Amino acid sequence: MTTWEGLLFGIGFVTQPEVLVYCFLGVVLGTFVGVLPGIGAMAAISLLLPITYYVTPEAALIMLAGVYYGAQYGGAVSSILLRLPGTPQSAVTTLDGYPMAQNGRAGVALFTAMVSSFTGSVIGIVVLVLLAGWLSRAATAFGAADYAAMMILGLVAASTIGTARPAKGFAMVTLGLLLGCVGTDVNSGAQRFTFGQTELLDGINLVALAMGMFGVAEVIANVRNPARQGVMEKIGLKRLMPRRDDLRRMALPTLRGGALGSFFGALPGTGSTLSSFLSYSMERRIARQPERFGTGAVEGVAGPEAANNSAAITAFAPTLTLGIPGDPIMALMLGALVIHGIQPGPMMLEARPEMFWGLVASFGIGNLLLLVLNLPLIGIWVAMLRIPFNYLYPAILVFLCLGVYSVRGLTFDIVAVAGIGLAGYLLALARFSPALLLLGFVLGPLIETNLRRAFLISRGDPMVFLERPIAAGFVIATVALLLLPLWQAWRRRARASD
Amino acid sequence: MTAGARAPAIWKVAIAGNIVSVETGEVEEIPVKIQMTRRAVLACTAAFTAVPAFGQDTWPTEPLRVFVGFPAGSSPDTLARIVTDQLAQRLGQPVVIENRPGAGGVIGVQQMLVSAGDGHTFGTTINGPLTTAQRMMDSTGYDVETDIAPVTLIATSPLVLAVSADSDIADLDAFIAAAAADEEAIAYGSVGQGSGAHLTAELFATEAGVSMLHVPFTSYAEVTTSILGGEIDAGFMAPSAALPFVQAGTMRMLGITSAAPFAQAPDVPVLAGNAGLPDDFRAELWNAFIAPAGTDPDVIARLNTEITDIVADAAVQEQLLAIGWQGAPGTPEDLRERIVTDTAMWGDVIDRVQAQQ
Repeated sequence: MTTWEGLLFGIGFVTQPEVLVYCFLGVVLGTFVGVLPGIGAMAAISLLLPITYYVTPEAALIMLAGVYYGAQYGGAVSSILLRLPGTPQSAVTTLDGYPMAQNGRAGVALFTAMVSSFTGSVIGIVVLVLLAGWLSRAATAFGAADYAAMMILGLVAASTIGTARPAKGFAMVTLGLLLGCVGTDVNSGAQRFTFGQTELLDGINLVALAMGMFGVAEVIANVRNPARQGVMEKIGLKRLMPRRDDLRRMALPTLRGGALGSFFGALPGTGSTLSSFLSYSMERRIARQPERFGTGAVEGVAGPEAANNSAAITAFAPTLTLGIPGDPIMALMLGALVIHGIQPGPMMLEARPEMFWGLVASFGIGNLLLLVLNLPLIGIWVAMLRIPFNYLYPAILVFLCLGVYSVRGLTFDIVAVAGIGLAGYLLALARFSPALLLLGFVLGPLIETNLRRAFLISRGDPMVFLERPIAAGFVIATVALLLLPLWQAWRRRARASD
Repeated sequence: MTAGARAPAIWKVAIAGNIVSVETGEVEEIPVKIQMTRRAVLACTAAFTAVPAFGQDTWPTEPLRVFVGFPAGSSPDTLARIVTDQLAQRLGQPVVIENRPGAGGVIGVQQMLVSAGDGHTFGTTINGPLTTAQRMMDSTGYDVETDIAPVTLIATSPLVLAVSADSDIADLDAFIAAAAADEEAIAYGSVGQGSGAHLTAELFATEAGVSMLHVPFTSYAEVTTSILGGEIDAGFMAPSAALPFVQAGTMRMLGITSAAPFAQAPDVPVLAGNAGLPDDFRAELWNAFIAPAGTDPDVIARLNTEITDIVADAAVQEQLLAIGWQGAPGTPEDLRERIVTDTAMWGDVIDRVQAQQ
């Protein structure tokens, strides 16, 4: 089947009324679980799994995939309005989205997020269709050394975003790295900082950490600060539609974010979180006025939102072409296929082309549905801010606890979120950025595991980081990134002495 | 169950059990149950294992809860769903799967014990939490011998030794020759320290008289990627994880750890008796249905009968095979014996691995 035949076939498949209904159900559900803090695609798909036994495998996969990428849209909503990332990927969106909302531009921020998400998805779909084979080869070409080098670059590039004081940024990244050490060390099997708690053996729950650092901390801050409560009632009503200036500013970051995300999405294990952080840091680096970032720059919403959505699409490349799931949610979706007697694997594309092309076509339809669904909802989301805080915040806390509990079903995590929330509030008082803590927490264990694995496989030879072309490229880029400020400073001094 | 030195821990569990019940909205039922079990409580100092004596005619009076220590959609979860679907029909009560993933399945067993006491709480688990976890972890919080009542083994799964199709290693003899060429000449991937894949590989290495480099990953997906990318040489893998790649011609299976050839891959030679390995070489993962200690023996007997029946069904066996499991039902005593022998066997392997580190 050629690409065009496949696409036409897929579109024909998805436009069957029954399949369309499942696609619609998936994206609507995805939007809502994305909006609700803490309840992510993982929990929603787990709950939906038993239902999928009763529908065709194609429809089941299309619905579950809809939840997955739909949640990326929804995640932006609570990040922008409440500084409460609905999903860990959208934590970056709080950096400029929330200030925009506070400046009375919540509607514009939401519009930007939706349009960028859509554009990012379209870029992801195009890349997936044209380069699926190449992307999946890239996934197997990446070894431990390459991952380690790539993520170190990500950490270095992004570790100063979201804060005016680099030292504070580094402090939070480091704290995140340390928190990431908690749990069973993959390489040695040692149990680190678990204090005999089995619940900590797999590390601190990412959702609990994100919800505590952002959600609970934000609720405490607002309850304690009557002035902020006042702002809450006023913001967002000024304008809903973006100005021409906003549109001009968001165009290029969206395209760049989409391209960035479609590459990182295809690599198993790193996916959308890394790509949204990288997109943000890239936009800030190339911006003419980087100081605008953090105070409500449209680019800071557009880039990351496009990146995490395109990553969510291309993440299906290794999953569908190799049968290798890139993240636990993908593994869950493949599990749904197994229940239907379909063995995911490299043969799936040949054996069941309708699965691949039907899904790809459903991405297009689904994202269109999401755009159509979400643009009119902007007004409603913004109106949500007019709910008196004494109703809104308790409701947020309830949803947050539900969300955290839904991940593993352990009361331990709810207690953890309360403790983390308190710590998060204290950090917020001192103006530390929780987004960077999250970055360190997500990347830390990945870097450590891959770095040590790379040394293990190379039998201790550090040259592996220079001999492998991919790793070498990332190492050179990292060094360049670190030397750049020094070189700039040296040039300034040289000019001054002229 | 006697309240010895572990009594404080038991109390903690009992208290936590009540909290869970309150959360699920069964607040009113708790006092009733306490009343019903008063005699049992008096007879047995450890309250939480005491279960009302449900007669075979009355049980089950409410939906069953089955704890699974792995996420929805995983292989142990799918296996549990296949079995409990049929079980629900036979018992006339819904069976609710409670996924409590984490710590290699240990959290699922823990949570089953926390929720125990109503005579309707059970679990399915892979072998790890019942055999090796006590050795690999600081504390699992339970004692397999005194806290767990075996119901039946459900199914077993061998592991296959797989290499990339691009590899020079053509068969088992060549593999052992390559591994024997040098210390750690072969790097193999597993799904973690102390995992079935890791311990099986170490057992294999000891029996074959070679030493290999262990590279721990967290999932078979990662192991597969690394083998296909040529980064590591081999892996002991679940057949269901390796088979799709074998069929696609990107992987090759050199041997299998079961006593007899595996139905899903009949042409793969068994390791036992081959290439200098002993004739009784066998390493299998398994999955079992368990109950909290103190569960009414009649209930256990009933469950054993039903589940053995279910697994004996040809259609169910086929479903299980599709996800890599071979039905292997037996008596509760069989399961207890399997736990004891495997704990001893893997304990020896863990001793050797830890001595090397």
